[in-house]
Order: sequence, then structure tokens, then C-alpha cells
Amino acid sequence: MSPSLLLHPPGQLSPAAAYYISRQAPAVLQGSPSTVSSSPLSALFSEKESPELWLKYENMLLSCLRTENDQAAHLFLERLVTRFGDDNERIMAFKGLLKEAVARQNGDQVRILNEYDQILSENDTNIPITKRRISLLRSMGRVSDAASSLVQLLEFSPTDAEAWSELSDIYLSQGLYAQAIYAVEEVLVLAPNAWNIHARLGEMQYMAANATGASSGSYQKYMAEALKRFARSIELCDDYLRGYYGLKLVTNKLLQDSNKSNKQVDDDEFALPDVGTIERLNELSTAKLSEIVRHSTAQDRGWRGYDPVEVAAARELLSSDAAAIER
Amino acid sequence: MAQIPVQTIHRDPQLFYWILFPITIVMILTGVLRHYAAVLMQTAPKKQDRKTIREQRSLLHGINVRSNFHALSKRSFNNRRDALTAAYESGAYLKDPERRGQPPPNPMSDPSSMDGMMGMMKNQMAMIIPNTLIMSWINAFFSGYVIMKLPFPLTIKFKSMLQAGVATRDMDPRWMSSISWYFLCIFGLQSVFNFILGDNNAASQMAQQMGQMGPQPQGQMFGPGVDPDKQFLGEAENLAVIEHYSVLDGVEQRLLEGSSV
Repeated sequence: MSPSLLLHPPGQLSPAAAYYISRQAPAVLQGSPSTVSSSPLSALFSEKESPELWLKYENMLLSCLRTENDQAAHLFLERLVTRFGDDNERIMAFKGLLKEAVARQNGDQVRILNEYDQILSENDTNIPITKRRISLLRSMGRVSDAASSLVQLLEFSPTDAEAWSELSDIYLSQGLYAQAIYAVEEVLVLAPNAWNIHARLGEMQYMAANATGASSGSYQKYMAEALKRFARSIELCDDYLRGYYGLKLVTNKLLQDSNKSNKQVDDDEFALPDVGTIERLNELSTAKLSEIVRHSTAQDRGWRGYDPVEVAAARELLSSDAAAIER
Repeated sequence: MAQIPVQTIHRDPQLFYWILFPITIVMILTGVLRHYAAVLMQTAPKKQDRKTIREQRSLLHGINVRSNFHALSKRSFNNRRDALTAAYESGAYLKDPERRGQPPPNPMSDPSSMDGMMGMMKNQMAMIIPNTLIMSWINAFFSGYVIMKLPFPLTIKFKSMLQAGVATRDMDPRWMSSISWYFLCIFGLQSVFNFILGDNNAASQMAQQMGQMGPQPQGQMFGPGVDPDKQFLGEAENLAVIEHYSVLDGVEQRLLEGSSV
């Protein structure tokens, strides 16, 4: 097992990788010390304490919970608790997470929610627990409560990119595109070079443009910005599949209804580029997408690591495009 | 030219065991002790209440918007600028809006800033007291001895450094007095402490002095005696003078130029 796999947050792992990691739990439990003594004598002879060790434990804990390996998860939590104590905010959130994971009925969830409220009434700046409470609310289906708690959290901590992206996700799930776009823009303010966030914002603009009820003025505005966001994400990250996919989608759509009147936009808005540029962008994205699909299917060196689902979607888009031309 | 005869001083070999070793061991032990004393005396960072966090992070938010405005479209930037400027100027994010416009409180009377000063005082004390004690102990017991001869020649300039407390004019600077050995230990034991206590130990006073001289990264911005209202007003002004442009301007041209299709 590559050690780097354990040092990254496991949210992005594929199920197979998470299962693989969780299978390693006994080996990791045996291979690393359960407690690290801080006395100088033993420090001379044993392994030094490092932040990586605790990061590894946290990630193992999350992977184990994900694959229903609750017993191992308890062991990892125990070690974290003996090191950092019961009242560490991060550890409190992990304990809550563990309880949430083993909760089976709705009653359990309500009880955990009450516990969170209890903790927060004692200390209202406990951000990890606040976030756990929000995600619990969301998984219980109380989406509007989750959104309002998130807004409260962001009101006193507006520099939290994680909370902003969660808020945008909630708004998007409710079809509130303008709010969702605002929240993603806040994430971009905090991380202006995150190409995935640029592409995400482009996707949202595209959705907002094609949502029912969008006026033709806002349609043009959203499409223009979506195009530019995807272009920016590609500029930041070469061969970014989602960026090219979105670019192709947007330019396809724009070329389809290019006969619509191109209204003049005011100074504050982005203007759509002319048709020639859109066509060239479309060609570029088609060429790049087919290159990515070809290399990635052939498993060429340097082209691995694309999500197979995304590659399949790109192939589908390309083939539907080809079918349209044949017709 | 006549060779200068090599100075020989007959020393009791016991000097070596009863002075050199004790001083070294005592120095190491005090270093370890100081490390643990510093760990024990460390107070946990004080919990900030919600209003303080809000005040600081709102300011940071404004700074982020100011420095990354190019990621936004003009309209969204203008919206944010208007909202932030209005809030900053009305003092909506202040911890205690009633105290607005009054001169900042004396930092000495503010209990939260006293903590920082107490911490510094404690560090200073933990450094000064053991040093004074050991210095006077060495002075009382071992002053005036020459305890060893360095195995390499030195120029005359080192005399005052190596023979502190031994007032002779003609002695070769290779001879070393006990006080000088003590000073050498102060400056030279850093790596020994690193080995015993790990990297960020509090045993060595050199490291502590460096830390005090260096800039304090986070403390300055929200430190005691800084008026947050002034900071907010300044930030509002900074936001107001921004001339907006966006990275998205002409991004498709850049993309087409950069790629060969």
C-alpha cells in the first residue's frame, strides 16, 4: 500500500480503494504504536511522533466507517482519544461521526442531534461539531434547517471554503441557482486558482442558463460566463476532462441556437465571443476530448487516472455529436 | 629565531572529573528541566468567543475579496464590494459596536493582552533564573581554575573569551577556564538538546532569543491596541479603489492561442 494513499483525505477514493484500505486496518493497527510516549528516554529508542501518524489514523477511521468496518474504526478512534483527549473539537466530531454511522433508526439520529445541540450550547464556536450537525440535518432530510445553520456558521466565519461549497451544493439541490453560484464564487475568492471549482461554477451557470424560467437575457449572461469558466479551468489545468466536456457542451448548445438574436449586453456582463471563436473552441474541445478518450481507453502512459465514468460520459457526448452530423 | 617554549601547566587530572564533567552534566540537566518547565507553564491558547472570530474573519474575508477580485465577474465583485463596504463603514462586524470611535483601551488593562505578556515574562524568567543560579554556582566553586588545554592553537584574541576569570597576561590562549567552558556549553549544547528532546524544544536559550527577535506572524494583525474599526475603514477604502478586471476577459483567445488545433 502506498503510504501517500493514506495521507490524503479519503473522500475522493473509489469504493474499491476505500475497501482496500479498510482491509489493511489490522496491519496498520499492529504496525504503528498505540500511544507515543513523550518522555525523552523512550523517544531515543522508539519511533518519533509525527503528524502523519495521526493523519493516517483519521483517514483509516473514515475509510473503515465507509466500508462498515466499525470495530476497526472504534480502535482507531480510541487511539486518537488517548492522544488528544475527549474534549478536543476534532475528536468530538469524529466521535459524533462514529455514532452517526452506527445509528440505524431515526430516533438515534434525533438523539445524536440533541447531543450536538448540547455541545454547541456550551461552546458555540465549535466548528467541527457545527459542521457535523449540519451534515446530520442534511442526511435526515431537513435541508432548509441545514442551509440556515450553514448561513449562521458562515455569518461568523466567512472564510470557510468547505462550508461555502457545502452551502452551494445544498442550494443547487434545491434548484436555487443564483444562490448556489454566489456560494461557489465565495469559494473562488478563497481559492482563485482551483480549476475544479472554476469548472463547477461553469456547470452551475450552464444549468442555470438552461433551467426553465430563465429569461433570454440571463440565458446569454450565464452561457457566456459558463464558457469562460470552462476555458479558465482548462487554462489552469491542461487536459482537464470536465473542463473540456463542459466547453464542448456549452459551445454545442451555443452553435445550435446561434440564429437567435445576439442582444447587446451592458458593460458589467461578459459578452459572448463571436461565432467563429465559438466554432474554434468547439473544434478544440472535440479534438481534446477524443484524444483523452482514446489514450485513456488504451491505458497509455501518462493518461491514466481519469475517472472511467467521466471518460464514458465524454465518449457518449462525442458519439451523440457524430450521430447528429450524420443525420 | 628562538622557539617559544611550550607552556606546560601541571594540572591535577581530578580537575577534569570534578569540574569539566559536572558543569557539562549540570548544563544538560538544566536544559532538560527548562524544557519541561516551559511545557508545564504553557497556557493553552485562549478560546476566542464568537464575536471575536466574526470580527477577525470578516476582515480576512474583505482582504480575500480584495486580493482575489480577478476571479469574479464585474457584477459579482461590485455586489460584494457594496455589501462589504457598507458593513465595514457601519461597523456591523465589530465586536462591541458601542465602543466605536473611542480610543483603543490601554493594552496594559486589557486582560486578554495581559496573557501574552505574562507568557513572555514567564519565558524570560525561565531563562534568567537558572542562568543566574548556575553562573553564581560556578563562580563560587570553580572560579580561577584552568581546566583544559584545547588541542589546537588559537590567536591572542581568544584570550578574553576562553580565559574569563583567570587574570594572567602571558598564558597561551589555548588554556581554558571553567567560566569559559560554561559559556561554550550555553552556545554549543543545541544539538545535544535536539537529540534528546526533539526538534522544537524549549531548552536552548539561543532558539528562544531568536524567536523573540523574529516577527510575530499572526499576532500583529489582531494584536492588542489595534483598533478594529480603523482596520475595517482602511479595508473599505482599499476595496473602493480597486479597478476591476477579470481573468475571464479574453480567456478563450488565450486558450486558442495556447493550443495547436
